[in-house]
Amino acid sequence: MGGLTTGEKVAIAVLLLIPVVFYMVYPAYNYASPELLGVPFFYWFQTLWLAISAVLFTVAAVIWERGLSREEKR
Amino acid sequence: MLGLAGWVTFWVFFAVFVFLGFYGARWRRGNLNLLHEWALAGRRLGIALAWFLIGADLYTAYTFVAVPSLVFAKGAYAFFAVPYVAITFAIAMLLMTILWDRSRERGYITAADFVQDQFNSVTLALLVALTGIVAELPYIALQIDGMRAVLEVMMAGMSSATTVSEVALVVAFIILAAFTYTSGLRGSALGAVLKDALIWLGVISLIVIVPLSIKGGFSTAFSIAAQHKLPTGVETLKPVFLAAYESTFIGSALALYLYPHAVNGSLSAESRKALRYSTALLPLYGIGLALLPLLGILVYGSPSALKLLSEFPASERGLLAIPALAATSLPAWFAGLVLLGIFVGGMVPAAIMAIAQANLLVRNVIKPFYRLSERGETRAAQWASVAFKFLALGFVFVTPLTYALQLQLTGGVIILQTLPPVFLRLLTRKMEKYSLMAGWAAGMLSGILLLVYANHFGPIKTTLYPLFGHPFYIGMIALAINLAVVGLGTGIAYALGWRPR
Repeated sequence: MGGLTTGEKVAIAVLLLIPVVFYMVYPAYNYASPELLGVPFFYWFQTLWLAISAVLFTVAAVIWERGLSREEKR
Repeated sequence: MLGLAGWVTFWVFFAVFVFLGFYGARWRRGNLNLLHEWALAGRRLGIALAWFLIGADLYTAYTFVAVPSLVFAKGAYAFFAVPYVAITFAIAMLLMTILWDRSRERGYITAADFVQDQFNSVTLALLVALTGIVAELPYIALQIDGMRAVLEVMMAGMSSATTVSEVALVVAFIILAAFTYTSGLRGSALGAVLKDALIWLGVISLIVIVPLSIKGGFSTAFSIAAQHKLPTGVETLKPVFLAAYESTFIGSALALYLYPHAVNGSLSAESRKALRYSTALLPLYGIGLALLPLLGILVYGSPSALKLLSEFPASERGLLAIPALAATSLPAWFAGLVLLGIFVGGMVPAAIMAIAQANLLVRNVIKPFYRLSERGETRAAQWASVAFKFLALGFVFVTPLTYALQLQLTGGVIILQTLPPVFLRLLTRKMEKYSLMAGWAAGMLSGILLLVYANHFGPIKTTLYPLFGHPFYIGMIALAINLAVVGLGTGIAYALGWRPR
């Protein structure tokens, strides 16, 4: 991870860790309601977080690759 | 039983799939006598194809047969597959891109190459390679179980259905072995695109059509499922399974990219950047994976699917749930397409996995002891990939169709023991090689003993073992023991004056 500024490293770490923390904090999603189209909260909310994870990871990837390409140009 | 139109679409598209598999040899042509051309598609996969190929590794019979079957039989616990896919890509973004960089620099094709070079130890690399080869076998067997489930549903009610489906399976395997031999990973990458198109089509249409055909949709299916009192809960997870849920998804997330086929897929990306972006987008792929377990619940709301399932022994019903739902709720021609998607969904990953095993065998088990030319290395890998596929096929014929997911989780217990020399080495140099070997041995031994003990010396029905009154995934328990030994051993080595190079 050489070449990244401390700020970038922290941002990447936070973005990657958010979904991990969410899924570990089980009281955040182990409910039956509110339901979505008859599907209990437990199922649809965890699924929604897959899309959220993809967004967070993509932002992290952009920060990361930008930092590295700046380094390579130097 | 599937109508005639379904058989027609199934075989027509199967022919297209086989064509793509062989055509792969000509696509972005490279010298297929070189191992990295055959096994890594010349490292030329861009963001989109890397996404498809790595997605194909994940989107296997595990996803559309094994996970739904576990939901159908046990309930909410099986949804661990969703956090598993989210977290595994966070791990991959961090670690696989580092491995990609080092591999490009030093010419690694396997994780064991990396271990051999970093620790300068043929023995440690051999342990990692053999672990990978063994762990992959139950995973391939799971793919074949998925293919077998499709054939059984298609032939339900026919006389001598079992024999016919076994013959069909063997024929499919001969074709698969032939195109893997000629095209290597390129054939699989092209086949993966067709497979994924069919799977997405199937998942989306089933998740829309089935709830509409049930009065009350999901609510009805969930309340009928609740009456069946599935052991881990239906609408929510029972709190006693909290530790099981979390340790299984963390264990699975750590395990995925240790598997030889996932390493192989990652290293076939054309650039670090392509790998990083395609990995970041892979959780989107997981959304389909999340919809499939819901279909395992919807089966309870579909009387026609339940009726078809009732023709089979109770222990097999879970695995047949999704194919049966497709066969009973979609028009025949369309069901044929969806069933083919599930069928090749087992074939593509089985091919990729056998290629990865063959790589390990040739590069890290044979080559250190026996000199091979570049061409000879590739030939040996091609034949090994054929042998491994048939080994797994034989394995399937002697084990029952039940508890398929436990096959993958058993593979996970085994492969997790290679985490310290591979993943940890990417992050730190401060580990001593003999401690890693001792840790591997301790983890492997404890993992296998716990598996045998938890299953009362019988067939593997569970990969959970109770600690402090809560079941935990055995893979994580064994990994903790492994890490403790590595830490202790390295501590002793430091005390004796050992220092990292």
